Amino acid sequence: MRLRTIVAMLVAMAALIAAVTALPAGAQDDGGKKKVLRLGQAQDVQTLNPFVAQDEENFRAWSLNWDLLVNFSPDDLSPVPGIAESWEVSPDKKTVTFKLIEGAKWSDGEPITSKDVKYSLDKLGTDSLIFSGYTSNVTSIETPDEHTVVVKTKQPDARMIGGLFIYMIPEHVYGKVPIAKLKKDFQPPLPMVGSGPYVVTEFEHGRILRMERNPNFRGEKPAFDEIQFIKYGSVDAVERALRLGEIDAIPEAQAPSFEKLGQADNVKTDRAPSPSFTQLTFNLCSEENCPDAKFNPAVQDRTVRQAIAYAIDRERVNTISTRGTSFPGHGILPQYYKSWYEQPADDYPYDPDKANQMLDDAGWTRDGDGTRSKDGVELSFDLFVRSESPENIQAAKLVAEQAREIGVDFKVQVVSVDKLTEITTREVDGKMAPDFDTFIWGWGGDPYDPSALLQLITTDQIGGSSDAFYSNPEYDRLFDEQAGEFDHAKRKELIRQMVAISQRDLPYLVLTDDPWLEAYRTDRMTNVAKQCPKPTGDVLCQQVNYDAIAQLEPGEGGDDGGSSTGIIAVIALVVIAVAAFLFVRWRRSRGGREPLELET
Amino acid sequence: MNPRWLAGKVAAALVTLVFVVVFNFFLFRVMGDPTTQLARLPRATPEEIQKLKSYYGLDKPITGQFLDYAGDTATLDLGISQRTRRSVWDEIKDAIPWTLLLVGTGTLLATLIGAWLGVIAATRRGKAADDGLLGFSLFTYASPEYWIGIILILLFAVWLPIFPSGQQMTPGEDFSSWFAQAADVAEHLVLPATAMTLMLLGQYFLIMRSSMVDVLTEDFITVKRAIGLPWDRVVRRHAVPNALLPLVTLSAIQFGIVAGGAVTIETIFSWPGLGELTYDAINDKDFPVLQGTFLVFSVAVILANLIADCLYFVLDPRVQAT
Amino acid sequence: MTDQRVRDLLFDTWRGRIGLGMLGLFVFLAVFGSAIAPDNPTASSLDVLAAPSADHWLGTTENGEDVFSQLLVGARVSIVVGFAAAAISALLGATVGLIGGYFGGWTDRGLDALENWFLVIPTLPLMIVLARLLEPSLGVLIAVIGLTSWAGTGRIVRAQVLTLRERAFVERARALGASDSYIIRTHILPNTMPLIFANTVLIVAVAILSEAALAFLGLGDPTRISWGTMLENAFSSGAPSAGAWWYVIPPGLCITLLVLSVSILGYLFEEYVNPRLREQPA
Repeated sequence: MRLRTIVAMLVAMAALIAAVTALPAGAQDDGGKKKVLRLGQAQDVQTLNPFVAQDEENFRAWSLNWDLLVNFSPDDLSPVPGIAESWEVSPDKKTVTFKLIEGAKWSDGEPITSKDVKYSLDKLGTDSLIFSGYTSNVTSIETPDEHTVVVKTKQPDARMIGGLFIYMIPEHVYGKVPIAKLKKDFQPPLPMVGSGPYVVTEFEHGRILRMERNPNFRGEKPAFDEIQFIKYGSVDAVERALRLGEIDAIPEAQAPSFEKLGQADNVKTDRAPSPSFTQLTFNLCSEENCPDAKFNPAVQDRTVRQAIAYAIDRERVNTISTRGTSFPGHGILPQYYKSWYEQPADDYPYDPDKANQMLDDAGWTRDGDGTRSKDGVELSFDLFVRSESPENIQAAKLVAEQAREIGVDFKVQVVSVDKLTEITTREVDGKMAPDFDTFIWGWGGDPYDPSALLQLITTDQIGGSSDAFYSNPEYDRLFDEQAGEFDHAKRKELIRQMVAISQRDLPYLVLTDDPWLEAYRTDRMTNVAKQCPKPTGDVLCQQVNYDAIAQLEPGEGGDDGGSSTGIIAVIALVVIAVAAFLFVRWRRSRGGREPLELET
Repeated sequence: MNPRWLAGKVAAALVTLVFVVVFNFFLFRVMGDPTTQLARLPRATPEEIQKLKSYYGLDKPITGQFLDYAGDTATLDLGISQRTRRSVWDEIKDAIPWTLLLVGTGTLLATLIGAWLGVIAATRRGKAADDGLLGFSLFTYASPEYWIGIILILLFAVWLPIFPSGQQMTPGEDFSSWFAQAADVAEHLVLPATAMTLMLLGQYFLIMRSSMVDVLTEDFITVKRAIGLPWDRVVRRHAVPNALLPLVTLSAIQFGIVAGGAVTIETIFSWPGLGELTYDAINDKDFPVLQGTFLVFSVAVILANLIADCLYFVLDPRVQAT
Repeated sequence: MTDQRVRDLLFDTWRGRIGLGMLGLFVFLAVFGSAIAPDNPTASSLDVLAAPSADHWLGTTENGEDVFSQLLVGARVSIVVGFAAAAISALLGATVGLIGGYFGGWTDRGLDALENWFLVIPTLPLMIVLARLLEPSLGVLIAVIGLTSWAGTGRIVRAQVLTLRERAFVERARALGASDSYIIRTHILPNTMPLIFANTVLIVAVAILSEAALAFLGLGDPTRISWGTMLENAFSSGAPSAGAWWYVIPPGLCITLLVLSVSILGYLFEEYVNPRLREQPA
């Protein structure tokens, strides 16, 4: 190789290095002109279309973009004005008249009117995947004028105030689109017209979701101009980014590294109860409802279930399966529901001696291998758990371990979520015929109205979402009554009775209440407070209410610039390699040929 | 080039393609429907599930469904991703360039480096260098490529934080110029491309080595040496070009393996190509996307094989005789 | 196997000894792994992702389980799936190759087209699709891998049968009135067996790698520990970012060594088989 070529290559390399190092580090912030709040998540927003989307990530964006008819108070999640300013329930309780806020505008300048409310309740209520069911009782929605909406129901339905979790979307944007397209592949045009403090202005799949301040927001102007949801490859990439200051907060941290994350500089973690729980479900289907169900009859013996409840230390399940990030469960209504929650009288504190006593008294005697039996029935149950959740699997193992102490044998079976769905929704001749003894899974409810969770063990839901197949006419009666009870105190009492029944009969043994796990940088976010509800809630009010994020203020911490060490290292390596190669060749051509032997 | 031979190969490729489409359809119709997931939502009623069934056309007779499917595929309507509700084709379209970048870089480097190492090994046959290289290539062949990827992350992204541990660009960054963005991508490409190169290296090395050994023992080489040509030039000008032929065709034929490697390597590095799309679809049970990526991979392999046949033809006229 | 040459290759070359030795070790682990493991591999504790110590020679997993015990126990899945899937693949491939190669005509054309198709389809994506459609379990994995890997064997067997079919001794047998099945059994098969065997050993290597890849992608048997699922768990729980090399390096190393040992033996058998092809039948 000639000298000229060598020199040319080296010059080219040098130029490349110079060009790359001269690059300005990526702009992270306009040096204080724009205040940006960066949130990191490992899962992408699926789609912004409220008719088809289902993930939590969507709710984080939607709850900032839109109001509900009636919002949730950050203090105790009770109903406060949203698009509706005030409401009145008729004497027969079957009509609710909403007076809407006046003079409010959508982010594109159009006025917010009753037409939007009617459209949202009608269309999202019937044609969406995740918002349908709330208006099941509604017979008519009338709009006598631009600021009044009259909703009539078949029976009194308390969900009308605070339980209509349906976002108010602009009719002038969505109404034009045929419903078939809305349910298929419609992507909302950006900026996404809304009434909340921020609206989505950019959505790049797999990269970033950008929300900017809504100029027509009727509330106090938020301090942050822009909110970014940045997609990372994995949860620990997100956590690393938080530690390095590339992002300001994580709305969904993970349990195993939660404690360690909180120890990092300038990072604070926050743990709060959420409206979801993890439960051990028993197959309580009656002969009448499920003539072909398959299960161990002992699972329907109440004493057995109660003994099991006493034998499981829910605190320990919490500590080990979720590293202490969840909260021990206390029944079908999670503690999150501040307005309704009361610790049940039958709370089953950990007491294995009592459990043993109960089973002894009921005549369950131990076999040679320690498992109890009576009249030929063994206390040996299947315990199905889905493979997708390591926490559930852990919990299952702990349940089995502790139950063994009282002579109950749980055979843990790890199956896929499809298989679990299959065995819990098995049908024979048009009737439900579930094939399991017990399983562990979870449910999640809405922020204020507890009906969604309470409904899970009603007789009506057998064939729907009931997975314990519990049927109790007393419970059903109470459920219908509380569903139509607008008086808070009276409703709370009815709910208390319902929880008492469910704790006595134990279709579910609620093991843990699932948490919101969040982490944020104290040098980037100030005016942070635990709310939704106060004082035990999370700091972002994620998916529920926009006040918490709207009132955040930036901290003094600066941004770290990005660096391109990697590419420089590569180029350096290449230069060195080329130089070495050239050097060797030069030496060889100087020193004569190197004859190489060739084996024949 | 004999047009009849070429037409024959193209026809064969088309027939295989048709088989793939038919197979793809029956494969995915044989399984359970994607609507079972809905049973978990507290608010999903049996009516809602029925609505979804009719939306997916799962209540039509099988032949009707297949005709729909065939027609749709021909117009690139591969359905809607269950997760993002964008068309599957859009998702695939966005992912293909990234996979091409990764796979192209990896294949190119593996070919170049593999060939170079193969020449070295062949010309030092039986010696320590040869044994060492053989051992190295065997090791990289036997090791799972995603494990190599994880080790690369450990070495160069965690212990020595030189390179990013994943994704294709720095998240959330606004780039001031095209060049800045390209440099960022290049930085992110290093580790995944290295993993891919190491995965493919072994095969190229072995092929190059064995064909070099064959060529070097041929008479005309001995003659060239005998008349005193410098060794380097003998190797470079005569031996190597003849050994290139199987190497070139190998690139195309290896595509099936490359597709598999793309899936696992992209998963490790969260590289947004077809591989990661497949991995996400596996986890979300997004069958339309899974069906789409499988189709694309199959088509790519068929195309690659066709190109291999053509290249082989062009480079070695002896093949025409078959 | 009684051939002196085989024994020489296996026991007197360092390649043979290393290959046999490593494979033997892994087979031993497959059988006795769970008996000699110091801890219960699924016994979780609060000591998560802990570095190696006296208690845990290779540290702990993200659930506080003992990595070393998991490693020992994981051998079983790799060995079982590898050999079983390869056996199925060999059976299928040999059958197809024999029938197609021997009988020729449209049967051969059809089988050949089928073979070509299987060779063309990208294997891992196909295995992914099949495994996702069915419930991931050990049996499904074996079936899926076996059903997608047979084409290579089929092709080789077919080529061999084609040459054998035209040989003098076969012609003679036919002239004497021997039936097809007799000819296949006594003349074709014995001369093809070594080839099938050598090829199958290499397929074992591919099967082991395939099982590991499927497990890594989350399609392994959820009730069993395998080296592939160990890597999957390590990756998805952030072990690489946490620098947990004790969790990340050993499973992959075991896969590599197992595949290496099988490959070395496979190449050895291939070497043995090749010159044999030119010999006359018994």
